[in-house]
Amino acid sequence: MLITGIKSRPVYDRLQPLPGGTRHIIAGQGSGGRAMLRLLDDMVGQDRPITLLYSQESFSGQDFLAGLQQHPSHQLKVYASNQALIDDLNDLLFDARMGTRLYLAGSESFLGSAMQVATRFDLNRDEVLREHSGTLVRRVWCVHCDTYTENVTQRVYDCPGCGVTLVVRDHYSRRLAAFQAVKADAEVPGELPEAEELDT
Amino acid sequence: MSQNNGTLNLRVARIESVTPEIKRFTLVSPTGAHLPAFSGGSHVVVLIANQNNTLRNPYSLLSSPYDTSSYQIAVRRVESGRGGSVLLHENVSEGDLMEVTPPANLFPLIKQARLHMFIAGGVGITPIISQLEELRLSKVPFELHYAVRGEEHAQLGKELQATYGEQVHLYRKGIESRMDICRILTGRPLGSHVYACGPDSMIDATLTSARNLGWTDSHVHFERFLEQSSGGEAFSFTLGRSGTTIEVSPDQTMLEAVEAAGYTMPYLCRGGACGHCETEVLELDGELLHTDDWLSEEDKTSRKKIMPCVSRAKCNRLVIDL
Repeated sequence: MLITGIKSRPVYDRLQPLPGGTRHIIAGQGSGGRAMLRLLDDMVGQDRPITLLYSQESFSGQDFLAGLQQHPSHQLKVYASNQALIDDLNDLLFDARMGTRLYLAGSESFLGSAMQVATRFDLNRDEVLREHSGTLVRRVWCVHCDTYTENVTQRVYDCPGCGVTLVVRDHYSRRLAAFQAVKADAEVPGELPEAEELDT
Repeated sequence: MSQNNGTLNLRVARIESVTPEIKRFTLVSPTGAHLPAFSGGSHVVVLIANQNNTLRNPYSLLSSPYDTSSYQIAVRRVESGRGGSVLLHENVSEGDLMEVTPPANLFPLIKQARLHMFIAGGVGITPIISQLEELRLSKVPFELHYAVRGEEHAQLGKELQATYGEQVHLYRKGIESRMDICRILTGRPLGSHVYACGPDSMIDATLTSARNLGWTDSHVHFERFLEQSSGGEAFSFTLGRSGTTIEVSPDQTMLEAVEAAGYTMPYLCRGGACGHCETEVLELDGELLHTDDWLSEEDKTSRKKIMPCVSRAKCNRLVIDL
């Protein structure tokens, strides 16, 4: 579970069948495959079409593709990267009809990027569930040069875009799907905040 | 324009009959000033002086939110009601003053929508007219499906067809086929929103069709008519804070009885939709007769809350927290 002391960080769900859906799209990445498989077990017996999207990109190297392939009655699309999955999700939702339910499982970066697509199509909280899995690493956005950095684990780091030493704030932007980082010694030049491991 | 207790005193600039039962009133400031701004779907409450009380009837604004030089309301004459609409039809002339509350909106457009679907019946078209006006500056597509009882009731619909063309689908009884709400909502793209205003049967059919097609509640919006004839049996209740006993006559609501007794309480829609008048029940010996759309089923069975603007009680004793 994610640390919950950060007010702006979304509260994630546990995937479970949403009532009333006429079509289900289940998209996951890496260790999120475990939640996808559990959801499929909970959906046994319902006769609405299910589409599975799975990206094998993983921070921890976990792969649930073999398990997903054990469900041949559902369409399964496999991607090498999270971005490829998210691009395809955009196309899928463009053609989708009302009654669609979306389930997301994976890292916070994946969930945030997929939610940006879902929000573009006005999918609301009663149509989407998100389950977090894997590590607590953050995607961070530099307010100075607009660079996104994946998998940040330290409170203080150097921005690969502009080289400024940044402090990661506990401020998550759903619009940007990232935490915000600002110049670490802006108040008193040279005076850096204490380095620490994030979320521990 | 003068203001009393936050209400606006407006001059009736024009009265037109648009159907055998509906009159359209155009209201302006006596000084020519602009009126308070509003958004599509807003309503005002018209204060109507009766013999020994004041009736407060909400009416949707049907003028453009982009033009606040006047407000327009459409008043359907309801013979079986408490007489407010009949008084407006018979006693108000052009040039008279009318007291209304500033606009409030309980039926706004959803700004994130990718498609707006409007379903209306009869005088239920009124809030949708200003919503369509608001959409004139929007690129989001919309469709209006509007059912009326026959040709003589179709004037507002024909005005809308003249303005918006093929986006308006008119169903005149005896001329076009019956409106098929399920078919209208089938196969719509993600991000569609439906807005329904009309008789209860039409709203219920919209809710049922949308649910069967997998639409979630966040995409379904509706506004019911104020059931002006939905009085009931007389009963009495007690204000917990002052101990005052209030008698509710058969044609009064609890809210009106409270106001007639000289007390004030918060309200906005006076139709059981907005939640502003939600009141805690402190003591109850009998049954609450809930008729609102606000309280959840759990709230309604808990016997702990009531919406005094529409709901009643059949009881020996009822004390509310007021």
